[in-house]
Amino acid sequence: MPSSARDTLLADLGAEGDPGVEAGRPGTARRLRGRRIPPTVVLSVLVIVVVLGSAVAPSLLAGQDPINGVPSDKLASMSGTHWLGTDYLGRDMYARIVHGARTSVLSAILAVAVAVSLGTLTGLAAALGPRWLETPLMRLIDVLLAIPSLLMAMVFVAAFGFSSGNAAVAVGLSMIATFARVARVEALRVRSAPYIEAAEIAGTTRVGVVVAHLLPNIATTLISLAVLEFGAAILALSTLSFLGFGAQPPSPEWGQLVAEGANFFYAAPWLVYAPAAVVVIVVLAVNRLSTYLDARAFDESL
Amino acid sequence: MSRSEAPADPPLLRVRDLSIAYRTARQWNPVVHDVSFDVRAGETVALIGESGSGKTTLAGAVLRILPANARTTAGAILFDGADLGRASRRQLRQIRSHGLGYVPQDPTMSFNPLRTVRSQLYEVLRLTRPERGPAAEAEALLRRAGVADTARVLDSYPHQLSGGLLQRALIAAAIAGRPRLLIADEPTSALDATIQKGILDTLGQLRAELGLAVLLITHDLALAAAHSDQVITLDRGRVASSPYAEALFASAPKPVAVTLAERADDTAREAPAPALTVDGVRKTFGRLTAVDAVSFTVPSGTTHALVGESGSGKTTLARIVLGLLRADSGAVRLDGRPVDPTDRVALREVRRDLQIVHQNPYGSLDPRYTVSRIIGEPLVRYRAGDRRQRQARIGELADAVGLPANVLQRRARELSGGQRQRVAIARALALNPKLIVLDEPTSALDVRIQDQVLQLLRTLQRERSLTYLFISHDLRVVAGLAHTVTILRSGTAVESGPVADVFRSPADEYTRVLLESVL
Amino acid sequence: MKQLLRRAGVLALVLFLVYTLVFVVLVVLPGDPISNRLSHPDAGYTPQTVDLLKHYYGVDKPAAVRYTEGLLRALRGDLGHSLADGRSVTGKLADAFVPTLQLGGIALLIVLVLTTVVGLGALYGRIPALRVAFMSVPSLVYSLPVYLVAVVFIQAFSFQLGWVPLNGDGGFAATFLPACVLGITISPPLIQVFVRSLINADRQPHITVARARGIPELRIFTRHLLPGAALPSLTVLGITIGYLMSGAVVTETVFTRYGLGALTQKAVQQHDQPVLLGIVVVNAAVFLLANLLVDVLYPRFDPRVQPRFSHAK
Repeated sequence: MPSSARDTLLADLGAEGDPGVEAGRPGTARRLRGRRIPPTVVLSVLVIVVVLGSAVAPSLLAGQDPINGVPSDKLASMSGTHWLGTDYLGRDMYARIVHGARTSVLSAILAVAVAVSLGTLTGLAAALGPRWLETPLMRLIDVLLAIPSLLMAMVFVAAFGFSSGNAAVAVGLSMIATFARVARVEALRVRSAPYIEAAEIAGTTRVGVVVAHLLPNIATTLISLAVLEFGAAILALSTLSFLGFGAQPPSPEWGQLVAEGANFFYAAPWLVYAPAAVVVIVVLAVNRLSTYLDARAFDESL
Repeated sequence: MSRSEAPADPPLLRVRDLSIAYRTARQWNPVVHDVSFDVRAGETVALIGESGSGKTTLAGAVLRILPANARTTAGAILFDGADLGRASRRQLRQIRSHGLGYVPQDPTMSFNPLRTVRSQLYEVLRLTRPERGPAAEAEALLRRAGVADTARVLDSYPHQLSGGLLQRALIAAAIAGRPRLLIADEPTSALDATIQKGILDTLGQLRAELGLAVLLITHDLALAAAHSDQVITLDRGRVASSPYAEALFASAPKPVAVTLAERADDTAREAPAPALTVDGVRKTFGRLTAVDAVSFTVPSGTTHALVGESGSGKTTLARIVLGLLRADSGAVRLDGRPVDPTDRVALREVRRDLQIVHQNPYGSLDPRYTVSRIIGEPLVRYRAGDRRQRQARIGELADAVGLPANVLQRRARELSGGQRQRVAIARALALNPKLIVLDEPTSALDVRIQDQVLQLLRTLQRERSLTYLFISHDLRVVAGLAHTVTILRSGTAVESGPVADVFRSPADEYTRVLLESVL
Repeated sequence: MKQLLRRAGVLALVLFLVYTLVFVVLVVLPGDPISNRLSHPDAGYTPQTVDLLKHYYGVDKPAAVRYTEGLLRALRGDLGHSLADGRSVTGKLADAFVPTLQLGGIALLIVLVLTTVVGLGALYGRIPALRVAFMSVPSLVYSLPVYLVAVVFIQAFSFQLGWVPLNGDGGFAATFLPACVLGITISPPLIQVFVRSLINADRQPHITVARARGIPELRIFTRHLLPGAALPSLTVLGITIGYLMSGAVVTETVFTRYGLGALTQKAVQQHDQPVLLGIVVVNAAVFLLANLLVDVLYPRFDPRVQPRFSHAK
């Protein structure tokens, strides 16, 4: 029985968009939403593929040397030879951005990998593990949440030393709490679903329920969060290197490129805008993909 | 104010060739097509239909409270001669506050949870009767709506009051502006049966006293028939043809007495050995006693109904029978074997013979599984047969519950509610259990589908000599399916025995009230 | 009251754990800050001097001893001394706190204004496209790195337009510009939650009922929609305080302002353990207190979560 007028309205809608509901045909509206991928999502995936491509094989996309410049060409503006101009040492900006993808993207992937593995494990252990484990794990999550994430990453980086790899681990550690919290809440939510009870009555063991029903049903949410946090990691890592705590010169990294460029902003604003625009575009693309995955996870759970 | 209009008077509300569509991602989906009807002053018109029939959309259209993505594509609604579609903001506000009253579906969701009932009633009164102080007026209105303890209701926050009291407060707000037409959208569907009757009586009384016309939207056919001058049946957005309406009424549960008379021979069988024994089961949550020393036995191959309103402890008891919850004291036995959640190995063995069909067919199937995998899960878990045998068994089960073979590879969200419930039944049957707990298996379904599912359950019971523990609040359904019954109230069994005896000559006062409330 | 005491106890426990965690991370990991900084041959210190300094700062003691001593001192409000300039950490933090408080206060006001504007736009925008545009504001702003906004704002408003002096005590204007940067960049989570809550609240049956009764839209917004949407946002406001701290690091560094953020940046650069430890503890304390305050205030606005009801049923 619908619980509110709104639900009935939605029921009116769903059934009417699909006169075949009782005949068991899939809802047309829902199927459209499920299958047809919006153009913005396609564009986002394209951006992500290009960026991943330049992380794996930067030389294919940019032939110029990203490290050694031609001093006489310094601070050149955008042109046919230097698509995005050159920096203060005459290095090609386009090449530096493409090659910078390697550091920026691989670090972000490493950071997310650290956060996903440790965070999910913590969250699942808190939700599904023995009772005595729950309180200590919850306190651990509280502690991690109490420290602003950039600050926590800075503490770790201060301890580990300044490098892109250390920054990646530091950012990853600072994101653990997010994953732990979501994994725990999702696990608790799914665990109380009637189909879990039904599986138990169907003779599925406790471990079986977790493996066969619970994990698959929280996976999409966690994947969409991982994609979202990948964007956050790109931002955090570029911020760390902007402050000088991440990747060290001369190897390029996006945040560091902005920091270098800021010194010549007046003379050569593209040195700031070009790498910053790349960060913004990548983060936007990643966020769009994440919202799309999230919406799909919601659809699937219906 | 007498409203004894001559039949020649123009109708109060005229709905003319109305079509409404909703915009979804890319297209407009028509929901209401060419609907026309009139409501005359003082008359009650019932608008009935299954979910998806467009009845709530129609109510929303009259009040002009449809969401932004709805559009009237054709036709008009005239109230007292004025075209509501062309009314200005100001006129509309005037009509809403003084011409129309609205009693919504779910009373617990229809008050702002952050403010007291008093402040929300006053808000309406300031709008409708600025000339008088709201305090006395609010009390008078509440009394009129059948509230005795007006002071407590006024000073409470919505979450502190029962659904029945909130619905009365909503009625009070609806009649504050002395409306001429009351639109009641499923006014009792969220309430327990005994409370439903009281609310309907109040509405009937107000209608007589104030000369109100009522547009009653409901899916409950008996209610519509009993309380209205005119019934309009909607079928997928159209005013239904009379065969459809007849079929719909035919599928509705019959009055208890009729059903019992029809089953006279069926209920008179001798009792075989008990399949399920529930002995002095007691369960408390904190200070609340959910189940208090309830005992009953269910003879093999029969159906025992647990009947009660929300909070009566029937669901808790079912969970104890299934071994999902441990009783504080007492015992549950299936064929002499104890159902004891502390002994997981033994419990797993007992569960082969102990299955469930949940109330909500939308939540009880894993959204990521195909139908075939859902039905096959018990077979896999209990290692019944090899792969090929299991496939054959799944096909056979699907057939038995009337699922077409082409749904086996679909996922639950692609199925209708009735089909989902059939999948759940097939899963419950997979291991040839002795007892199936049916937890309100049809309450989330439309009447026609309800009827089909109940029919299926009866057939399966006959063919496979299944024992059912049937949990329900609907006495009419119970009368048609159960052989024995236990009436629960606040965790206590007030009455227990064969259905015919209990329903024909109830010994307990509460049972009598329950029976009266469903006719 | 009992509830409050319990919450305060948990807060103290979490704060203690924060101290411990950061201490472990900063100290147990290899290398002590004095050697890290001074034992490089170019630094011009003899090994003897380095040892002497280590002894002076107590870095040569075993970690367990330093942890215990440090914790006991911290309980008395003494967070030790900076390894960089020898000043008391408490003093340094107190000095830096005031400018950051000003910056953060103005930034929070800006956040609130932005949130209201975007919320109204997303709910009442005349055409659907406008509402969608307002709804996508948070995710657009979210992808702007703080440093970019800061650099561009300085360039635009200080260098090119010359509205705001870059250095020195520019008075209100000198604080307002960085506060804008900070406010804009930390606003997305709050805006997102507020907009979503507003739209959610708008779909509640009780709002529909109020409209059906003919109650004017302005009253519906101020009395029914706004309170309903503000409640979930209150929780995020507590979390926004955390973002404020992170954002302040970049903002103060780029604007060369003095404050907690700039202090953090310097402490990391100089491996100034005691200062960093102090900053983290103070940050965590502010964050936890802000959230405690939100939790305490919540039942005042929402009668449903009064403790005596939350446990019933």
